[in-house]
Amino acid sequence: MKQRSWSDVALNVWGVAVLVFLFLPILVIIVSSFNTGRLLVAWDSFGFDAFGAILTKPAIQDAVMVSIQTGLIAALLATLLGTLAGIAMARHPGRWAFWFIGLLLLVSVTPEIVDAVALLPWLVFLGQDLGIGLFNDGIARLVIGHSLFSVAVVSYIVRARLIGLEGQLEEASADLYARPLTTFRRVTLPLAMPAVLAGFLLSFTLSLDNTVIAAFVQVSGTTPWPVYVLSALRSGLRPEIAAVSTIMLLLTLVALALVAVVLRRAGDSATQIARTMTGN
Amino acid sequence: MRGIRLPRFALALPAWAWLVVFFVAPVAMVVYFSFGYKPGIFGTHATDVLSFDRYGEALSPTFFQTFTNTLWVGLAGTALCLLIGLPAAYWMAVKVPPSRRGLLLALVMVPFWTNFLVRTIGWQVILAPEGWLSSLLQGIGLTDGPLDILYTRTAVLIGVVYNYLPLMILPLFVAFDRVGGPLREASKDLGAGRWRTFTRVTLPLARPGVIAGVLLVFIPLMGDYITATVLGGARGNMVGQLVASQFQTAQNWALGSAMAVMLILVIMATVAVGGLIVWLATMPFRLRNRLVLGDEPASAPAGRSGDDGPAAGGAEPVRTEQGVSA
Repeated sequence: MKQRSWSDVALNVWGVAVLVFLFLPILVIIVSSFNTGRLLVAWDSFGFDAFGAILTKPAIQDAVMVSIQTGLIAALLATLLGTLAGIAMARHPGRWAFWFIGLLLLVSVTPEIVDAVALLPWLVFLGQDLGIGLFNDGIARLVIGHSLFSVAVVSYIVRARLIGLEGQLEEASADLYARPLTTFRRVTLPLAMPAVLAGFLLSFTLSLDNTVIAAFVQVSGTTPWPVYVLSALRSGLRPEIAAVSTIMLLLTLVALALVAVVLRRAGDSATQIARTMTGN
Repeated sequence: MRGIRLPRFALALPAWAWLVVFFVAPVAMVVYFSFGYKPGIFGTHATDVLSFDRYGEALSPTFFQTFTNTLWVGLAGTALCLLIGLPAAYWMAVKVPPSRRGLLLALVMVPFWTNFLVRTIGWQVILAPEGWLSSLLQGIGLTDGPLDILYTRTAVLIGVVYNYLPLMILPLFVAFDRVGGPLREASKDLGAGRWRTFTRVTLPLARPGVIAGVLLVFIPLMGDYITATVLGGARGNMVGQLVASQFQTAQNWALGSAMAVMLILVIMATVAVGGLIVWLATMPFRLRNRLVLGDEPASAPAGRSGDDGPAAGGAEPVRTEQGVSA
């Protein structure tokens, strides 16, 4: 073992410090969920009261249920649209793909608050002025709002995966007299599957996380969890909020672990997983 | 070929239609609203007379301060993310044994996928004047009174650096990882020290990652609404809140729309100006580093800005980076 230089030691310290910084508020929230006091900020004593309180508050349960329901529908929709678009970009590129990627880029760089203030009058216009009932439905409005960014993310991920795998397999399948639809179903889709699953789970987490668009487009009666927390911010944060967050953190961890396992099975290295997950 | 020949973009059509109806159309409508005005107390917008007046209003001294404040938080936040994230990403990609990299990446990603709002509330708890950090600092005598950071611009800065840091670390990690060990070893074999290897080989090759990280942090940060709402209070206002308040409380959709469009314009202008400054500032460095083998094609400019990274550079074998000076 050679002598470690001062710069290596400094980098080690820095790296660990950054990780601690990244986990600090999450740890604070987890600890706060065991606070028996009335307010989140003021520590009283250790106990499981907050977790019990969840069961007695239908508003919290409803909000979480709305979030999960919206998340599943939005993720399904975004995965369907994004997968098809990603396959088209990877396997049938052309001038159109250039414009389409431009649109996806625009979707991903537009600040959420702009999407939010734009969608609100638009949905009011579609739902009330044009009288299309679907756009007055709380869940439908949330799904629309949450799906925009996710469609772009899934498209990137699926495209990146298929571009990495050249088209020879599809050509071979066509040479062996498989019809285009059969090739699509038996070759292209299985090839894209890890990216599709990763995209689905990422869309789900993105939807669970979405606060800004949800706060604008939500209809009273179908308030998703983050919007519930946002309104609780004004009336005083109680430990129940930390308790639900702790439970949801566990759920997210399970989802992330699933993504990692799926990608690793498909033979990706840690770096490739990171690239897939950040959409690079 | 049997059946009907579908156009190449057929599979992308559903996504395209979805985004046109629920992204392009509403945003276009907001741009249209921004030229209108607020008719009376009860109306939200009217577009029978179109003008640029709302843009003038959005830049009036009352709101202009919020724009400069947002730009300050955006630039300072991005710079801090780069300063904090760069060594951390380098450490993860180069110094940590490969077997442990996956775990570290997962650790960086966990906060990224934890609820944004809840993470920010975590900081509110930490920075609260009656919180444990405040007591700790007073206990060891670093501060006299309770911590007075919450609901200031400093709190917003801490919040945004925290919230967007993973978006900086991940692309930087990928970029450093891609440079690979052999190039660094070659540089050291040719007599360069570790600092020189880093500044002349690793960092230039990781440039696409740096650019990606800066953009991934700066753009969403400028439009941030949550962090400023939770940590900023009245003293740490950002444009996102301004836009929201015009739609939710003031009911002036025309002015709110103009502010939203201004926000996008400010982001684009800052990225363009920043890119130009960096390009000009690094020009002498690039010219000195460039080793021209054979004749330079007359049409090619001396250096290109933007994203011609190692991948794109590989397509032009006449130009290579010079690791050590002659």
